[in-house]
Amino acid sequence: MSTRDHGSIEELLAIRALDGLDREDEVALEIALATHGDCATCRELEAGYTDTAAFLAASLDPVPIIGGPMENLLAAARVARPPARDARPSDELAARRSRRALPVWLAAAAAFVLLAVVVVPRLAGSTDVTTEWAQTVVRFDGAEGELAMAYVPGEPGVAFWGENLPDPGPDQTYEIWMIDDETPIKGGCVTPVDGRIAVFVDANVGTTDRMAVTVEPTSCPEEPTGAQVLTATLS
Amino acid sequence: MSTPELRAAEDRALLGRIVEGDEDAFRRLFGRHGPAAMGLARRVVRQPHLAEEIVQEAFLGVWRDPQGYDAERGSVRAWLFGMVHHRSVDLIRREEAQRRRADEMVAGLRDETVDHSDEVIEELARPEERRLVRAALEDLPAEQRAVLEQMYFEGLSQSQIAERSGQPLGTVKSRALLGMRRLREALEDLDR
Repeated sequence: MSTRDHGSIEELLAIRALDGLDREDEVALEIALATHGDCATCRELEAGYTDTAAFLAASLDPVPIIGGPMENLLAAARVARPPARDARPSDELAARRSRRALPVWLAAAAAFVLLAVVVVPRLAGSTDVTTEWAQTVVRFDGAEGELAMAYVPGEPGVAFWGENLPDPGPDQTYEIWMIDDETPIKGGCVTPVDGRIAVFVDANVGTTDRMAVTVEPTSCPEEPTGAQVLTATLS
Repeated sequence: MSTPELRAAEDRALLGRIVEGDEDAFRRLFGRHGPAAMGLARRVVRQPHLAEEIVQEAFLGVWRDPQGYDAERGSVRAWLFGMVHHRSVDLIRREEAQRRRADEMVAGLRDETVDHSDEVIEELARPEERRLVRAALEDLPAEQRAVLEQMYFEGLSQSQIAERSGQPLGTVKSRALLGMRRLREALEDLDR
C-alpha cells in the first residue's frame, strides 16, 4: 500500500462507481489517477467501490428475459468483430496499465492542474467546484468519441480528457493542434487507453481560436498530415 | 472457495472463453447476469424497451472487447453492471423528465402483458444476497442512503442532488463517500 494521500481519490472513486460525478470532477479524478500512475491503492479502492455499486444493482429484483433478446444479441454478436485470440486479458491489461503512467514532468504538471481545479475553488470558500472551471471547459465536436479540454484563463497548461475514442490504428496516434489564424501549432500526441485519455499539455491557448485533433503516425509530425477528426472553437 | 468466490471465478473463466470466441460461454454469461442487468437498467431508465437495448449493447461490448475487463478493478459482474449503469445514466440525463414519466406509465401497461414462457435464465435469483444488501442499505443513516439511491437508482449527479436537496455539494459528496464506505464494510464478507 502506498503512503500517499488517497482521500480525494477515494471520494471521487466512490462517487464515480455510482456514476454521480460531474464532468469537472471526472477530469480531476482522471488527472489524479494519471498522476498516481501504477497505483495499487487506487486500484484497490476502485475495485472495492465498483463491487459495492454492483451490490446495489444486485439488491434489485432480476427481470426475466424472454428468448427474443438473447437471440437478437447472439445474431448481433455473430456479425460483430470476433474477439481477438492472440492475447490474454492479463497481458494486454498489464500493457495498458504500464502505458497509463505519466512521465515525471507530466505528472508534476497534472498535479498543478489538479490543484487549480480542485483546491483553488475550495480555498476560495466555494462549495461549487465548477465556479471558475466550468467557464473554461471546451468540448470538441467529431464523429466518434468525446473529448474536452480545460484550462485556467491566462495560465499556461491545458488538461485534455476524453472517452469512447476509437483506437487510431496500428502505429497511429492522435495529435492535438492549436490553430492560430489558420496556422497549426503542435500541441502533442496522445494515444487512448480503453478509449480514454487524460493528459496535460504545457501550452498556452491564449491566442488560439480553434483546436483540432488529427490521426498521425506515432512519430508525431511537426505539421498535420491527416484529416481532422475532432475540432473545437474557442470563444 | 466460498460460493461468491466460486461464482466470480466462474465468471472469469467464462470471460476467458469469450476471448477465444466461445459463443456458448457468452450465452451463459448472459444467462447468469442478464436478468439482474435488466433489473438495473429498468430501474434507472424505467422503459423496458430502452432497458433491453442498453443491456444488449453492454453485452455486445463484452463480446467485442472482453479484454477490456481488468480483474484488479473489480469483478466481472461489477464490470458488466457498471457498463449497464453508465449507459442507463447517460440515457436518462439526456431525457426530459416529462417524457420519462409518461413512458413509465406506458411501461407499466406493457409489463402486464409480458409472456414469461420462453425465459432464458440460467440462474441466479441470489435471494440471500439481495436480502443482505437491502438490510445493509436500510442500516445506513437516512441521509447517506438517500444520496446513494438518488445517485445510483435515479441517475442523478452529485450537483443535481445538491440542487434538489438544497445541500452544499461538499455535503452530498461526503454523504456519498461515507455511505459507500459503510456499505462496502457491511458487505465485505459477501466478497464479489
